[in-house]
Amino acid sequence: MPTLDCEETPSHMPDRSHVGRTYRADGQVIDGERAARFAEAIAGDDGLIEPGVVPPTYAAVYCLSPTLAQLFGDAELGIGLAGLVHAEQEFSFHQPVRAGDVIDASVRIASVAERRGRVFLGVELEATRAGRPVCSGRALFVAAGGAP
Amino acid sequence: MRAAATLLGVRAGDEIAPLARTVTQAQIDAYAEASGDRNPLHVDDAFAREHGFVGCIAHGLLTTAILVEAVARWAGGFDSVASVAVRFSRPLLRGDTITCTGQVTAVDAAAGTVSLAVAAVSQRGERVLSNGRAQVRLPRD
Repeated sequence: MPTLDCEETPSHMPDRSHVGRTYRADGQVIDGERAARFAEAIAGDDGLIEPGVVPPTYAAVYCLSPTLAQLFGDAELGIGLAGLVHAEQEFSFHQPVRAGDVIDASVRIASVAERRGRVFLGVELEATRAGRPVCSGRALFVAAGGAP
Repeated sequence: MRAAATLLGVRAGDEIAPLARTVTQAQIDAYAEASGDRNPLHVDDAFAREHGFVGCIAHGLLTTAILVEAVARWAGGFDSVASVAVRFSRPLLRGDTITCTGQVTAVDAAAGTVSLAVAAVSQRGERVLSNGRAQVRLPRD
Protein backbone atom coordinates (compact mmCIF):
# COMPACT_ATOMS: atom_id res chain seq x y z
CA MET A 1 0.00 0.00 0.00
CA PRO A 2 1.52 3.33 -1.02
CA THR A 3 2.14 5.87 1.71
CA LEU A 4 0.24 9.09 1.65
CA ASP A 5 2.54 12.01 1.03
CA CYS A 6 0.95 15.16 2.35
CA GLU A 7 3.68 17.32 0.85
CA GLU A 8 3.09 15.95 -2.61
CA THR A 9 3.13 18.56 -5.34
CA PRO A 10 -0.24 18.79 -7.06
CA SER A 11 -0.19 17.16 -10.47
CA HIS A 12 -1.39 20.32 -12.19
CA MET A 13 0.87 23.24 -11.37
CA PRO A 14 2.54 25.64 -13.77
CA ASP A 15 6.31 25.34 -13.77
CA ARG A 16 9.24 26.41 -15.92
CA SER A 17 8.60 23.58 -18.37
CA HIS A 18 5.55 25.54 -19.51
CA VAL A 19 7.63 28.53 -20.61
CA GLY A 20 7.27 28.91 -24.35
CA ARG A 21 3.78 27.48 -24.48
CA THR A 22 1.79 29.60 -26.94
CA TYR A 23 -1.92 30.15 -27.45
CA ARG A 24 -3.16 31.56 -30.75
CA ALA A 25 -6.33 33.26 -31.91
CA ASP A 26 -5.95 33.88 -35.63
CA GLY A 27 -8.25 35.46 -38.17
CA GLN A 28 -10.25 37.68 -35.85
CA VAL A 29 -12.24 40.35 -37.67
CA ILE A 30 -12.51 43.64 -35.73
CA ASP A 31 -16.22 44.23 -35.13
CA GLY A 32 -16.88 47.97 -35.39
CA GLU A 33 -20.11 47.82 -33.38
CA ARG A 34 -18.46 45.93 -30.54
CA ALA A 35 -15.52 48.34 -30.58
CA ALA A 36 -17.99 51.24 -30.34
CA ARG A 37 -19.68 49.67 -27.30
CA PHE A 38 -16.23 49.13 -25.78
CA ALA A 39 -15.36 52.80 -26.36
CA GLU A 40 -18.70 53.93 -24.89
CA ALA A 41 -18.14 51.80 -21.77
CA ILE A 42 -14.81 53.56 -21.19
CA ALA A 43 -16.21 57.04 -21.85
CA GLY A 44 -19.30 56.66 -19.67
CA ASP A 45 -21.29 59.88 -19.41
CA ASP A 46 -18.39 61.95 -20.74
CA GLY A 47 -19.01 60.82 -24.32
CA LEU A 48 -16.56 59.70 -26.98
CA ILE A 49 -13.54 61.83 -27.83
CA GLU A 50 -13.16 60.16 -31.25
CA PRO A 51 -16.33 58.44 -32.47
CA GLY A 52 -15.55 55.63 -34.90
CA VAL A 53 -11.95 55.19 -33.72
CA VAL A 54 -11.07 51.87 -32.10
CA PRO A 55 -9.46 52.67 -28.71
CA PRO A 56 -5.90 51.28 -28.41
CA THR A 57 -6.80 49.18 -25.36
CA TYR A 58 -9.29 47.29 -27.54
CA ALA A 59 -6.26 44.97 -27.67
CA ALA A 60 -7.90 43.52 -24.54
CA VAL A 61 -10.55 42.13 -26.89
CA TYR A 62 -8.65 41.09 -30.01
CA CYS A 63 -5.45 39.95 -28.29
CA LEU A 64 -5.78 39.17 -24.59
CA SER A 65 -9.30 37.80 -24.29
CA PRO A 66 -9.26 34.98 -26.88
CA THR A 67 -5.73 33.82 -26.08
CA LEU A 68 -5.98 34.02 -22.29
CA ALA A 69 -9.26 32.11 -22.38
CA GLN A 70 -7.23 29.23 -23.82
CA LEU A 71 -4.38 29.68 -21.34
CA PHE A 72 -6.61 29.72 -18.27
CA GLY A 73 -8.58 26.81 -19.68
CA ASP A 74 -5.42 24.74 -20.19
CA ALA A 75 -5.80 21.83 -17.76
CA GLU A 76 -2.12 20.94 -18.09
CA LEU A 77 -1.16 24.41 -16.89
CA GLY A 78 -3.65 24.37 -14.04
CA ILE A 79 -4.17 28.12 -13.54
CA GLY A 80 -7.87 28.95 -13.30
CA LEU A 81 -9.56 32.31 -13.10
CA ALA A 82 -10.51 31.81 -9.44
CA GLY A 83 -8.35 34.03 -7.28
CA LEU A 84 -6.40 35.27 -10.25
CA VAL A 85 -4.98 38.80 -10.07
CA HIS A 86 -3.90 40.83 -13.10
CA ALA A 87 -0.84 42.57 -11.65
CA GLU A 88 0.85 44.40 -14.52
CA GLN A 89 0.15 45.22 -18.15
CA GLU A 90 2.22 46.69 -20.96
CA PHE A 91 1.00 47.47 -24.47
CA SER A 92 2.93 48.84 -27.43
CA PHE A 93 0.71 50.07 -30.23
CA HIS A 94 2.54 49.84 -33.56
CA GLN A 95 -0.33 50.57 -35.94
CA PRO A 96 -3.94 51.69 -35.35
CA VAL A 97 -6.55 48.95 -35.64
CA ARG A 98 -9.72 49.69 -37.63
CA ALA A 99 -13.10 48.02 -37.97
CA GLY A 100 -12.89 45.19 -40.49
CA ASP A 101 -9.20 44.50 -39.89
CA VAL A 102 -8.24 40.82 -39.66
CA ILE A 103 -5.95 40.22 -36.68
CA ASP A 104 -3.83 37.22 -35.71
CA ALA A 105 -3.10 37.17 -31.98
CA SER A 106 -0.92 35.08 -29.71
CA VAL A 107 0.11 34.90 -26.09
CA ARG A 108 3.29 33.11 -25.06
CA ILE A 109 4.22 32.08 -21.53
CA ALA A 110 7.45 33.97 -20.84
CA SER A 111 8.06 33.21 -17.17
CA VAL A 112 6.75 31.09 -14.33
CA ALA A 113 7.88 31.67 -10.75
CA GLU A 114 6.55 30.62 -7.39
CA ARG A 115 7.06 32.85 -4.37
CA ARG A 116 5.41 32.56 -0.96
CA GLY A 117 2.92 30.04 -2.24
CA ARG A 118 1.80 32.18 -5.15
CA VAL A 119 2.43 31.62 -8.83
CA PHE A 120 3.68 34.57 -10.92
CA LEU A 121 2.92 34.00 -14.59
CA GLY A 122 4.45 36.37 -17.15
CA VAL A 123 3.18 36.35 -20.71
CA GLU A 124 4.19 38.10 -23.93
CA LEU A 125 1.47 39.06 -26.35
CA GLU A 126 1.56 39.90 -30.02
CA ALA A 127 -1.06 40.83 -32.58
CA THR A 128 -0.41 41.18 -36.29
CA ARG A 129 -2.33 42.26 -39.38
CA ALA A 130 -1.16 40.65 -42.63
CA GLY A 131 1.99 39.62 -40.80
CA ARG A 132 2.85 43.11 -39.58
CA PRO A 133 2.66 43.91 -35.86
CA VAL A 134 -0.18 46.11 -34.65
CA CYS A 135 0.21 45.50 -30.93
CA SER A 136 2.65 43.75 -28.62
CA GLY A 137 3.22 43.71 -24.91
CA ARG A 138 3.47 41.82 -21.67
CA ALA A 139 1.23 40.94 -18.78
CA LEU A 140 1.84 39.58 -15.30
CA PHE A 141 -0.72 37.48 -13.46
CA VAL A 142 -0.56 36.25 -9.88
CA ALA A 143 -2.46 33.13 -8.87
CA ALA A 144 -2.84 31.25 -5.65
CA GLY A 145 -0.41 28.33 -5.65
CA GLY A 146 -1.59 24.75 -5.83
CA ALA A 147 -0.06 23.79 -2.46
CA PRO A 148 -2.44 23.96 0.50
CA MET B 1 -8.83 65.32 -33.05
CA ARG B 2 -6.59 68.30 -33.49
CA ALA B 3 -3.04 67.70 -32.30
CA ALA B 4 -2.83 69.32 -28.89
CA ALA B 5 0.86 68.87 -28.19
CA THR B 6 3.88 69.09 -30.48
CA LEU B 7 7.49 67.98 -30.21
CA LEU B 8 8.69 71.57 -30.27
CA GLY B 9 6.06 72.70 -27.80
CA VAL B 10 6.60 70.26 -24.96
CA ARG B 11 9.31 70.08 -22.31
CA ALA B 12 10.25 67.57 -19.65
CA GLY B 13 8.19 68.40 -16.59
CA ASP B 14 5.07 69.46 -18.53
CA GLU B 15 1.89 67.97 -17.12
CA ILE B 16 -1.07 66.68 -19.07
CA ALA B 17 -4.56 67.85 -18.12
CA PRO B 18 -5.79 65.47 -15.38
CA LEU B 19 -8.80 63.38 -16.36
CA ALA B 20 -11.25 62.54 -13.55
CA ARG B 21 -14.05 60.05 -14.19
CA THR B 22 -16.53 58.42 -11.85
CA VAL B 23 -16.81 54.78 -12.87
CA THR B 24 -20.36 53.52 -12.37
CA GLN B 25 -21.53 49.91 -12.12
CA ALA B 26 -23.39 50.46 -15.39
CA GLN B 27 -20.05 51.39 -16.99
CA ILE B 28 -18.34 48.30 -15.52
CA ASP B 29 -21.22 46.11 -16.74
CA ALA B 30 -20.95 47.63 -20.22
CA TYR B 31 -17.19 47.07 -20.25
CA ALA B 32 -17.68 43.46 -19.12
CA GLU B 33 -20.09 42.85 -22.00
CA ALA B 34 -17.99 44.61 -24.63
CA SER B 35 -14.68 43.09 -23.49
CA GLY B 36 -16.00 39.63 -22.73
CA ASP B 37 -14.41 39.70 -19.25
CA ARG B 38 -17.41 38.80 -17.06
CA ASN B 39 -15.38 37.82 -13.98
CA PRO B 40 -17.93 37.99 -11.12
CA LEU B 41 -15.61 40.31 -9.14
CA HIS B 42 -16.68 42.97 -11.65
CA VAL B 43 -20.37 42.24 -12.09
CA ASP B 44 -21.62 40.34 -8.98
CA ASP B 45 -21.66 42.54 -5.89
CA ALA B 46 -22.35 39.66 -3.47
CA PHE B 47 -19.47 37.65 -4.95
CA ALA B 48 -17.12 40.63 -4.65
CA ARG B 49 -18.10 41.13 -0.99
CA GLU B 50 -17.49 37.44 -0.28
CA HIS B 51 -14.00 37.94 -1.65
CA GLY B 52 -13.08 40.82 0.63
CA PHE B 53 -14.12 43.84 -1.42
CA VAL B 54 -16.72 46.46 -0.46
CA GLY B 55 -18.43 45.72 -3.76
CA CYS B 56 -17.70 45.18 -7.44
CA ILE B 57 -14.37 46.46 -8.71
CA ALA B 58 -13.59 47.91 -12.12
CA HIS B 59 -11.51 45.90 -14.57
CA GLY B 60 -7.85 46.90 -14.40
CA LEU B 61 -7.91 47.34 -18.15
CA LEU B 62 -10.93 49.67 -17.88
CA THR B 63 -8.90 51.94 -15.57
CA THR B 64 -5.97 51.62 -18.00
CA ALA B 65 -8.25 52.63 -20.87
CA ILE B 66 -9.26 55.81 -19.03
CA LEU B 67 -5.59 56.60 -18.41
CA VAL B 68 -4.86 56.06 -22.12
CA GLU B 69 -7.75 58.43 -22.93
CA ALA B 70 -6.16 61.10 -20.70
CA VAL B 71 -2.90 60.72 -22.62
CA ALA B 72 -4.71 60.67 -25.97
CA ARG B 73 -6.61 63.89 -25.17
CA TRP B 74 -3.30 65.64 -24.54
CA ALA B 75 -1.45 64.07 -27.46
CA GLY B 76 -4.13 64.74 -30.05
CA GLY B 77 -5.88 61.40 -30.38
CA PHE B 78 -5.77 57.69 -29.74
CA ASP B 79 -3.53 57.03 -32.75
CA SER B 80 -0.78 59.13 -31.12
CA VAL B 81 -0.45 56.69 -28.21
CA ALA B 82 2.53 54.42 -28.85
CA SER B 83 2.68 52.52 -25.58
CA VAL B 84 1.41 52.26 -22.03
CA ALA B 85 2.62 50.22 -19.06
CA VAL B 86 0.99 50.07 -15.63
CA ARG B 87 0.92 48.16 -12.37
CA PHE B 88 -2.52 47.45 -10.91
CA SER B 89 -1.84 48.54 -7.33
CA ARG B 90 -5.27 48.93 -5.77
CA PRO B 91 -8.75 48.11 -7.06
CA LEU B 92 -11.14 50.85 -8.12
CA LEU B 93 -14.59 50.26 -6.59
CA ARG B 94 -17.81 50.86 -8.50
CA GLY B 95 -18.83 54.45 -7.89
CA ASP B 96 -15.26 55.58 -7.24
CA THR B 97 -13.74 58.50 -9.11
CA ILE B 98 -10.44 57.83 -10.84
CA THR B 99 -8.11 60.73 -11.62
CA CYS B 100 -5.46 60.10 -14.26
CA THR B 101 -2.34 62.25 -14.47
CA GLY B 102 0.83 62.40 -16.51
CA GLN B 103 4.09 64.29 -16.69
CA VAL B 104 6.56 64.48 -19.57
CA THR B 105 9.86 62.79 -18.67
CA ALA B 106 11.69 62.97 -22.02
CA VAL B 107 11.34 64.39 -25.52
CA ASP B 108 13.08 62.54 -28.37
CA ALA B 109 12.80 64.94 -31.29
CA ALA B 110 14.74 62.63 -33.63
CA ALA B 111 12.42 59.69 -32.97
CA GLY B 112 9.35 61.93 -32.80
CA THR B 113 8.32 60.53 -29.44
CA VAL B 114 7.59 61.87 -25.98
CA SER B 115 7.81 59.75 -22.82
CA LEU B 116 5.57 60.33 -19.83
CA ALA B 117 5.26 59.10 -16.27
CA VAL B 118 1.56 58.36 -15.73
CA ALA B 119 -0.57 57.37 -12.75
CA ALA B 120 -4.13 57.06 -11.53
CA VAL B 121 -5.53 57.60 -8.02
CA SER B 122 -8.96 57.18 -6.45
CA GLN B 123 -10.84 59.95 -4.61
CA ARG B 124 -9.48 58.39 -1.39
CA GLY B 125 -5.96 59.05 -2.64
CA GLU B 126 -5.24 55.36 -3.19
CA ARG B 127 -2.88 54.60 -6.03
CA VAL B 128 -4.92 52.58 -8.51
CA LEU B 129 -2.34 52.52 -11.31
CA SER B 130 1.31 52.94 -10.38
CA ASN B 131 4.72 52.60 -12.02
CA GLY B 132 2.98 53.96 -15.09
CA ARG B 133 4.79 54.86 -18.27
CA ALA B 134 3.49 55.94 -21.64
CA GLN B 135 4.97 57.03 -24.93
CA VAL B 136 3.29 59.15 -27.60
CA ARG B 137 4.13 60.04 -31.19
CA LEU B 138 3.79 63.78 -31.79
CA PRO B 139 4.04 66.00 -34.86
CA ARG B 140 7.06 68.29 -34.92
CA ASP B 141 5.08 71.53 -34.79
